[in-house]
Formats: sequence, C-alpha cells, structure tokens
Amino acid sequence: MFVLKNAWRSVVRNKGRNILIVVIVAIIAAAATIGLSIRNAAETARETGLASTNVTATIGMDREAMMNKAKQTASSDSSGSSSDSSSDSSSDSSKQPDFGSMRDALDQNALTLADYQKYAKASSVNVGTYYTETTSVNGTDAFQPVESTTSNEANSTDSSSSSGSSDSSDSATSGDAQGEGGQGGPGGMGGGMGMDSGDFSLVGFSSDEAVAAAANGTFTMSSGKVFGYDSSSDGDVIISKALADFNGLKVGDTITVADLSGDDTTYELTIVGIYKNATSSNTGANGPMGGTSSDPDNAIYTSVSTLKKLGLSTESTSSTDSSDSSSSSDSAATQTSASRTQLSFTYVLGGKSDYETFVKDVEKAGLDDTYTVSSADVENYESSLVPLDNLAKFALTLLIIVLAVGAVVLVVLNLFNVRERKYEVGVLTAIGIRKSKVAAQFVTELLIVTMIGIALGVAGGAAASVPVSNQLLAQQVSSQESEASSRQAQFGRDANMPGAPGGSGDSSSNGSSSEDSSSQGSSSSNGSSNGSSDSGSSDAQSSQPARSSGPGGFSQAVDYVSEIDATVNLKVVGQLVLIGLALTLVSALAGIVAIIRYEPLQILADRS
Amino acid sequence: MTTATTTVETVDTTAPADATTTAVETATPSPEPRVVLAMDHVSYSYTKGGKKVVDDLSHDFHAGRVISIVGPSGAGKTTVLSLLSGLTGPTEGRILYNGDDLARSDRYRFRSHDIGVIFQSFNLLPALTVEENITLSMEASGKTFDRPKHDLVVELLAKVRLPAEYANERILHLSGGEQQRVAIARALGYDPDIILADEPTGNLDMATQDDIMAIFRSLAHEEGKCVIIVTHSPAVADQSDEVFELKPLRR
Repeated sequence: MFVLKNAWRSVVRNKGRNILIVVIVAIIAAAATIGLSIRNAAETARETGLASTNVTATIGMDREAMMNKAKQTASSDSSGSSSDSSSDSSSDSSKQPDFGSMRDALDQNALTLADYQKYAKASSVNVGTYYTETTSVNGTDAFQPVESTTSNEANSTDSSSSSGSSDSSDSATSGDAQGEGGQGGPGGMGGGMGMDSGDFSLVGFSSDEAVAAAANGTFTMSSGKVFGYDSSSDGDVIISKALADFNGLKVGDTITVADLSGDDTTYELTIVGIYKNATSSNTGANGPMGGTSSDPDNAIYTSVSTLKKLGLSTESTSSTDSSDSSSSSDSAATQTSASRTQLSFTYVLGGKSDYETFVKDVEKAGLDDTYTVSSADVENYESSLVPLDNLAKFALTLLIIVLAVGAVVLVVLNLFNVRERKYEVGVLTAIGIRKSKVAAQFVTELLIVTMIGIALGVAGGAAASVPVSNQLLAQQVSSQESEASSRQAQFGRDANMPGAPGGSGDSSSNGSSSEDSSSQGSSSSNGSSNGSSDSGSSDAQSSQPARSSGPGGFSQAVDYVSEIDATVNLKVVGQLVLIGLALTLVSALAGIVAIIRYEPLQILADRS
Repeated sequence: MTTATTTVETVDTTAPADATTTAVETATPSPEPRVVLAMDHVSYSYTKGGKKVVDDLSHDFHAGRVISIVGPSGAGKTTVLSLLSGLTGPTEGRILYNGDDLARSDRYRFRSHDIGVIFQSFNLLPALTVEENITLSMEASGKTFDRPKHDLVVELLAKVRLPAEYANERILHLSGGEQQRVAIARALGYDPDIILADEPTGNLDMATQDDIMAIFRSLAHEEGKCVIIVTHSPAVADQSDEVFELKPLRR
C-alpha cells in the first residue's frame, strides 16, 4: 500500500519525464501491436483457411524418383537421360534412354483402384474418396465428334486456342507423339483429358462429388439429368450440348461408339441428359496432334459402373498395361479402349490438418516413396499465402527491432532516472524504508508509466493495424505481381514458374500448346503454358481454381490473399502486456541493482 | 572516558533503572532514568582489520535527557552517529536498544520506528512539500495513527514553531532554520523513543539555535525522549543535560 501510494505520488510528481516515457512506450507498443496482430492474422489465416473447407488430395508418382530407380536397376545408358528426366520427364535427348525398362518401371508401379482404396482406409482421419476413369472411344458413322475442320494443318491451332470457343479442336488424327501424355505427373487430373487419339473421351464418375470436380469444369444440365451410379443406370450417359447439337441428338436417344482397337467392338449408350459446360474453356486446344477426345465438348460422362459393365474400367483390364497409356505410345501394341483407361483417384479430406495426417498415414501404410501425395488445394492455398508470409516475416522483423530499440531506450532512461534519484533512495533508506520496498516502488512507478503507454499504444495500434496491415499486404501483393510481370517481360510470355499469376501470353508460336504441362510432358516445354493461361486467367480461375490443374499447373493464376483481418484481439493485448512487463522488468533491473547496492550510510555523504 | 555532568534531574519521572547489566561504567547518581540506548565496548573500522575510527566505546543513553556528544574533528562523531542511528553496525561490541542487540534485530525497523534522526544536511526530499516529507516518515514507520495525518502534521509544525500554512510549502522555499524545524518535525512524526541530531545548530544564528535547543529540551524533559545531539558547539553542550566527550584516538 505504502509502495503503491508513494509510487503513484512520484509518478504524478515527475510528470515531464513520465510523459516522455509514456510517449516512447506508446510508440513501441503501437508498432508492436501492428506487428503482433499481423502475425496473428497471418497465423489465423493459415490455420483456418483450409481448416473448415474440404481439401482434395491425390496420389501421384514421382517420376523422377521412379526413373532414377529404374535406371539403377537397369543400370544401362543412365548418363544420357539423367539431366533430361529431371527437367522434363520425357523430353527427347540425342541418346536414347532405355525406354523399355523405364516404362516397365512406371507400369509396375501404377496404383490400382484397390491400392487407392486401401490407403483411404489406412488413414486415421475421415477420408472421403471419389474417382474418375477416363478412356477413349471412337465415333461411328452415326455419331461423330465435334470438330471444326478435318484438315491436318498445324496452324489451325492459333485460331482455335485463342478463340476459346467450343469448336477448338483441329484434327481427328491420332498422332503418336500425343500418346506420350499418359497418366500425368502428380495428380494427373488433367491427364485424362489430354490423353490421345480416340474421338471421344468417355469419363466414368464414381459419385456426384467426382462429377462436380470434373476436369472440364462445372456444367449445367440443359435437359435431362445426370445419370445414377448404381447398376440400374448402367449405360446412361450425358453428353455436351455442342455434341448433341452436332449430331442432332436429344435425351433418350441412343448412341453407339466404337472401341479404339478398331475391331468391331462397339458400345451402346443411352443419353439421359445434355449438359452445357459452365466455362467455355478451350482446354482442348492440344495443338495439331491433339485428338478430338481432348475437346471438352467431346466428353461423354457416365458412371464408373457403366464403364465396368462395358469392360472398360481399370479393374477389367490386365494389370500390365492398365492405367498407363504411355506404355503404348510408340510401341506397336494394339490399343483398346480398355487398355487406355486411366484412373484418377481423389481423396477428400476435412481440412489441412487432416491432409497432413493423411499424408503421414499413407506413408506409414506403405506407400512407396516413388509416389507423392499432393493436394492442389493446399498448394494453391500455400502459394496464395506468399505475400501474407512475407508480410508476417516483415512484421516479425519490425517487432524485433522495435522491441530491441525500446528495451535499450527504456534501460537508458531508467538508468538516468535512478542516478538522478540516488539521493531519494538514500533518504528513503535512511528513514528506515527497506531497499526492497524502495526498489518495488521504483518498479511500480515504471510499471504504471509503461502500462499507460501500452494502453495508449494498443489503442493507437488497434486503430491503425487494419488499414496499415492491409496497405502493407497490398504492397506485398503488388511486388509479388510485379515480380511475375518482370518474368513475363523476360520471356515475352508467362514464365513457366510456380506462383506466377496467369497473364495472357500470345498464343503458341510453337504449335503445341498443351492443356496441362505436367500431364502433357511433351517435347516443348516452351509453349506448354500458353493454352491454359488464356483460359485460366479469364474463366477457369473463377470457377475452379484448384482443380482445373494439377499441382504442376504452373501457369495457374493465383488469387493472392489480399485481405487480412488484423484486428487486435485479446491474445494480442495479452502478449503485449507480457512484453510490456518483460520490458519494464528488464529496464528496471538497472534501477534495482543500483538500489540494492546503495548503502544507507552514504546518506551522510550525500549532502545535497 | 565518560564525563557525566550531573546537572539536572528535573521533571522526568520515567521508568526506574532496569538495565543494570548494561549500565556498567556510568557513575550517575541515584534516581537512574531508564537506559534506552547503550554502547557496549563498541569499535568500528571501515575496512576489516583496518584503522579503528572508534575504539572500545561504552556509554548509556537515558530517557528524558538531552545528551551532547562532543569532540574534535576526527574523534569519530559521525561514526558514532551512524552507529547509534543504526545506519551501520559496529565491527566489535554491541549497540543495545532497550537491552536488545541491534545487530540481531531489524535495523530498518529500528530506524523507521524507534529513532528519529535529524541529519546535518536535513536530507529532506526537495520535490516534496513539508507535509509530504513528514507523512512519508510517518508512513514508513508502519505505525497507525488515531487522527488524520494532516492534523498531526499541523500539530508537529506547531511544536517546532512553524505556522500551519507551511504544510504545503516546497522544501526549497524554506530557509535553513525552517528546514531544520521540518527535519525535526519529520523525526518526531512517528513518535520515536530516541531523537538523534547531527549538528542541529550548525549554520543557524544564535536566536534560532537557542530556539531549537529549547525544542529539544522540552522533548526530553516533557515527553521523556532520549535526545542525543552530536555537536562541536560549546553553547549546545552547555544547554544539554549530559555531555559525552569523544577523545581523538592516538595514532
């Protein structure tokens, strides 16, 4: 009580000095408040951003690791392809790597549906799954794919890819080079569509969820309704409006498609609905070699069970060449629709933490290290957080500097204060006030002053933190974007680097713009990003940013987190009070030491 | 070594002599007042094993008396003052307060509670008002007061013959004599048994000096305090009941 009273009196008495300290502390506190709240908000954004929403994850093979493995086993001709395989899995080099052994390796390691399902069960978190199976079928006389031209001219690509209209395919020929696509790298969602040959892609969905995540984007039904998934609706398909119009079909009609193998196998399907893609994307602009099957309008949607019944599902094909089309690219093996069926399996997880658990669980469950679990959602989200992370780093630096400077200033002020008041210490101890009490009084004085300063600083910081942090974040975003645009200036187009927002590059000078560079993996990595950047920046981004490309969707536009909720909450205030206490005690230490070392006898010499 | 001047045995009828153990050397005549403070073979040196500033000093200080400690420069007056006031402890021997060894009790409590020290330079806090200075020591003593502190302060000021309106004056606005009175008032504020004054009349004019001495005498004789004055002024020594003379140590 005595200590408090004296301290308060002393604070009031030394107004000038204390106001100075209050101002200094308030500035420090305001800066610290902003720094802390930014960090806090960044953390919250990081944690909650994907905590509540579903996250999809896929298991893909790490081709590089697999190649290396294959090379080690084959141990032949490994020198020629080592550099190439790392940059682009299937780029040609002058020396021919041992394609056979590589394909074998890739093939052996392809996961089956059962494998995928096993991993889903192995996880301790709740995992939802859906999958699509994609194959190609040829048209028949009565049922032809949508195409703009039958000519095989390569320069038709330019018009089609930039037009973005529905009739964007060019040739119906099934080029061999195209076959190198195959089951895309990690998360080959797009791989199915970029496949090859065939007139149509026949896509089997396991559930509504899978349909919603269709590689061609969302669609609306213009007539009829989506098929069911049980065996009763086997044979039911839905086709795109363009395709229906092209062939003059309507709901209830039956279509016949032929197997790729060219023999007389045909499949009969019933149209139960006609859909219209919500995005008029031209993702099918696969260049001159692209088959019409890669045109989204030539996608026939059906259920997995239909595929199974037709004998086209992965389970019904032989294991050796199932689900990997690359094996048959330039070998002379006959292709059947069944053999070309690709499986794209997606896990749905409850949030980012679930995703992380899932990754660990899957590894524990024995997933080979040539496979990686990846999530486009998570990665997309991560890259959208880049400016926020930078801001958080900046905030931390700010915080450290401010606190260090503040601590030094406070210590110095307090040292002077105690020196000035040595006489007072002498008098107080001489009249019998314990040193501990005197020290406590001095500390209390400082505490009162700093707490007032902190209160003012927090108030000021709280008022300023939201606009200031948003301003800072906007700067970070724009600097991130200017980095991307400088890349564009360098390349004359979008650089093929992660994190660059998709701008509109000029359409392929190179002839082979691919839908998805990772799935395509074809010869020119150069022009690969253009096709998708056209569509990605305008349309696909708005509808399905995460799913329209795999993790390797380099040119994917990133929606940077540009708003931050840097409101000051109780946690921040608590942290600040703790920091204030720590600062006060540290700076009071000087005073305490001086007081403890004071001998009351000195008062006889202290004759003011 | 002691010279007990047996002058006044006046009005004070405090407790009879009880501390027989400590009152060894004194040869004061019979109705012996209570021994409040005693030095028992006290020696002091600033450094361990160094030169002794005070060597084997013994004396009893009785309640109701004004005792002057005199001696030439270098005789250890200030050291005795700091020993008696509990600012420091003796290297050898004991200081006894009411028979208890100060070294074994709490010297901070002793200073704040039982002894009022009036320093030569007053050692008032210049930033505080007169009243604040006085109440500071009252609060430091931890004693409880049955009346509002302001009333007590006014009363104390009257006792040291200062007008009540001085209560809100800043120390620096006062003259030396007035500061001296405030220092006395501060020492009296918590009603200690012993008043210890260091050169209380050092730089005061004769009239003020007499006035201050009159205050001390009345404190001793009317209130039964033990008033110890360290001085080199013969006039002050003459006005005290007892003179304790320190001789310079032979070197």
